[in-house]
Amino acid sequence: VNHIVHNGGLYKRPFNEAFEETPMLVAVLTYVGYGVLTLFGYLRDFMRQWKIEKCQNATEREEQKDFVPLYQDFENFYNRNLYMRIRDSWNRPICSVPGAKVDMMERVSHDYNWTFTYTGRVIKDIINMGSYNYLGFAQNAGACQEAAAKVLSQYGAGVCSTRQEMGNLDKHEELEKLVARFLGVESAMAYGMGFATNSMNIPALVGKGCLILSDELNHASLVLGARLSGATIRIFKHNNMQSLEKLLKDAIVHGQPRTRRPWKKILILVEGIYSMEGSIVRLPEVIALKKKYKSYLYLDEAHSIGALGPSGRGVVEYFGLNPEDVDVMMGTFTKSFGAAGGYIGGKKELIDYLRTYSHSAVYATSMSPPVVEQIITSVKCIMGEDGTTIGRARVQQLAENTRYFRRRLKEMGFIIYGNEDSPVVPLMLYMPAKIGAFGREMLKRNIGVVVVGFPATPIIESRARFCLSAAHTKEMLDTALKEINEVGDLLQLKYSRRRLVPLLDRPFDETTYEETED
Amino acid sequence: FQAPAYHLILEGILILWIIRLLFSKTYKLQERSDLTLKEKEELIEEWQPEPLVPPVPKDHPALNYNIVSGPPTHIITVNGKECINFASFNFLGLLDNEKVKSAAQASLKKYGVGTCGPRGFYGTFDVHLELEERLAKFMRTEEAIIYSYGFATIASAIPAYSKRGDIVFVDEAACFAIQKGLQASRSNIKLFKHNDMADLERLLKEQETEDQKNPRKARVTRRFIVVEGLYMNTGDICPLPELIKLKYKYKVRIFLEESLSFGVLGEHGRGITEHFGINIDDIDLISANMENSLASIGGFCCGRSFIIDHQRLSGQGYCFSASLPPLLAAAAIEALNIMEDNPDIFRTLRAKCEHIHKALQGISGLKVVGESFSPALHLQLEESCGSRENDVKLLKRVVDYCMNSGVALTQACYLEKEEKCLPPPSIRVVITVEQTEQELDKAASLLKEAAQSVLN
Repeated sequence: VNHIVHNGGLYKRPFNEAFEETPMLVAVLTYVGYGVLTLFGYLRDFMRQWKIEKCQNATEREEQKDFVPLYQDFENFYNRNLYMRIRDSWNRPICSVPGAKVDMMERVSHDYNWTFTYTGRVIKDIINMGSYNYLGFAQNAGACQEAAAKVLSQYGAGVCSTRQEMGNLDKHEELEKLVARFLGVESAMAYGMGFATNSMNIPALVGKGCLILSDELNHASLVLGARLSGATIRIFKHNNMQSLEKLLKDAIVHGQPRTRRPWKKILILVEGIYSMEGSIVRLPEVIALKKKYKSYLYLDEAHSIGALGPSGRGVVEYFGLNPEDVDVMMGTFTKSFGAAGGYIGGKKELIDYLRTYSHSAVYATSMSPPVVEQIITSVKCIMGEDGTTIGRARVQQLAENTRYFRRRLKEMGFIIYGNEDSPVVPLMLYMPAKIGAFGREMLKRNIGVVVVGFPATPIIESRARFCLSAAHTKEMLDTALKEINEVGDLLQLKYSRRRLVPLLDRPFDETTYEETED
Repeated sequence: FQAPAYHLILEGILILWIIRLLFSKTYKLQERSDLTLKEKEELIEEWQPEPLVPPVPKDHPALNYNIVSGPPTHIITVNGKECINFASFNFLGLLDNEKVKSAAQASLKKYGVGTCGPRGFYGTFDVHLELEERLAKFMRTEEAIIYSYGFATIASAIPAYSKRGDIVFVDEAACFAIQKGLQASRSNIKLFKHNDMADLERLLKEQETEDQKNPRKARVTRRFIVVEGLYMNTGDICPLPELIKLKYKYKVRIFLEESLSFGVLGEHGRGITEHFGINIDDIDLISANMENSLASIGGFCCGRSFIIDHQRLSGQGYCFSASLPPLLAAAAIEALNIMEDNPDIFRTLRAKCEHIHKALQGISGLKVVGESFSPALHLQLEESCGSRENDVKLLKRVVDYCMNSGVALTQACYLEKEEKCLPPPSIRVVITVEQTEQELDKAASLLKEAAQSVLN
């Protein structure tokens, strides 16, 4: 059933999001698994302490042994005993362009992942389902690379100064005008690091006496920026509009805690696509709420810019809304544009203020010129201004790949979280042993996947996350799907029970949804 | 088997109590105010927030950036005028070095521009691993870790080790990145007067007496001293040998920020530890950014594996951010090669610094702040005009005079409301190896002229 959700008429297209509930048996077994691992962890620590087992951890200097210990033993318990067992699933070194296929350097460990050695062999042509390469701009040949090479030979690699001093190049001005045009806002400003864009600009916008309403599952950069600003932070349940409305009402009616003074301003922090859940923010409802309660909206489009919308302009275009309704549109250039850095777009007063008071403009080095050129060329390509239709074709290819991949995985019987249109596809694994097993089995079959566990996700909800790309051809997706099917049968990952309950009007606290079937 | 009577009565009362609790209404803290729905709606209607950002006047000095057309190298085109560059931190002149550029080009042809992922998820390239090895070897430490943004390096390193309840002794003149790292760590911050070891010792002694009152807490409270090798805000160096003595006397760890001294001080450019001849293992963590001497982007931390490895899982700017673009890492490796092959550029740079330091003495109205061998000096007003705003305007006129005559200078920019100890307004003078003796003399005489005409 393709449903138009309540709040009548706010959504111009169906919004299909599903988070199937964890099956009870699986949850119990997962806890048992962690319990066993913890017990063994204590046993091994005991053996290491009594020198029965060799301790391979790096240790403090002899001269500093009587200093206060730098790390508490317990802090590292998870690290030593659980993370170390499956450490080879992460930090895999590659040695080619991170496109649809990638070459990986082979690593072996002879002491159960404490140390790695490189055999010198290169595993070629692994299908890359882990890199954030949504529109396939991670290329080492083509128009973008040639333009970047030209700018590199003209300008050099570094800048050696800050924006406000001597680091504001003509290239930066060009980039900012282009980004503003691409997003449909009055003005934009670009920064050298996506993480720093959040952590250095939120403190410039809000301070003490302001209120920040932040989604439960916001990225670490948003959380750090909110903390550094000194404002009061309140958290609403993930993508839950009733929770947000209640917080807004309470905030305005009761004012600041203890003093009861009215809040200076209220800022709502949401993301376009949440990278661990694959869910898309309910933007029409958020904007309706923001207008009703006179608060400001900060939208972090790190994953959704370029990946959603018929012409790749992000989640605002995907819902058919007006970009001027979003007060602060933030995004990064790392994912869909194959470069590095972040931007903020909005009204001219906002950007003028940020040019003057942003921490990054005053103290941090500006962007490197070849990276700027890569962004300029890729944005022009997406907009179609370079005279080709490559950009448009890629955006459409990504949407097709997304729909196809998600449909096939659901048909196979895996539990897949998130919205039907999001190119981030989390596949639930749950049990700790399956995290390591899935990563290794897929690598044996020449497919590189990303697996995530605690603390990036709740402890029992570990998952594998696929990032689709416009560069993936249908053959690559079919190969990957075949292998995922095999590994799914081998590891018994097909948990889905697809209960056919129609979607009811949600009562206040509910945050789990049942998926509906045609 | 008969239970005593009081036992049964007690159990009976308990069961009745439990039944009562199960069926009674949940206890809610009474709503702070018994407002009716209508009153709530009125409050919501009436509330007016402040505008998101206050308006910025059009002529605000920080709003109008200098526009540099073309590369910011030795001869720089600022706002249409060609000038000699005395404002970019390009100390070793590696920004337009052909070897560096060709290494970056080769990397661009192989890897493209971006890495499309953080280090944990297919964002680790062999170039990153090579750069980390080379930096560790160059600095003669066990391990090094790279960040993709210079500011984020020390701002992520400090909160990885120092948490709520720990104590950090930091110099007053510490740069903004250190201040943000300290704010993110939520530790107790104790500022000591700039380069004043007696003040630091006083604070350490006070802390010791506190510890004796509560030895259990003292055993788990970590202590750190954060200093810079060459201070950006004042141009002088920290007295590292005394700090090492204090470290072992009071059992405090030292974090050293070497952004300006890496590639400048020391016989081979290894920084302030080489300058003073100190064993590098005595410093717990050295952090630097690669945006000054190495003319690339990003930063690194180096030290023993025991310390550095921790950041791979708890450094926020490392785990949650995309890795450094490979072409910038390749440029940094090539720059390191050049530094290793030509160790006499450091001596040349220091000689030039001494030269201009001497030449700038005796300008009426402006005083030189900084060590004689520091490549980043400040020129401050000898007498302030009263308000910071007027000082800034006056210095801007000096800078404009110099720019119109072909020497590019800039004022040191700060966020006035956010800095803990705001330095006085100043003009930043940066010396690079590419500047010739004539150019240094020209700059010095121009500044004398400018000071004469503007300040008198």
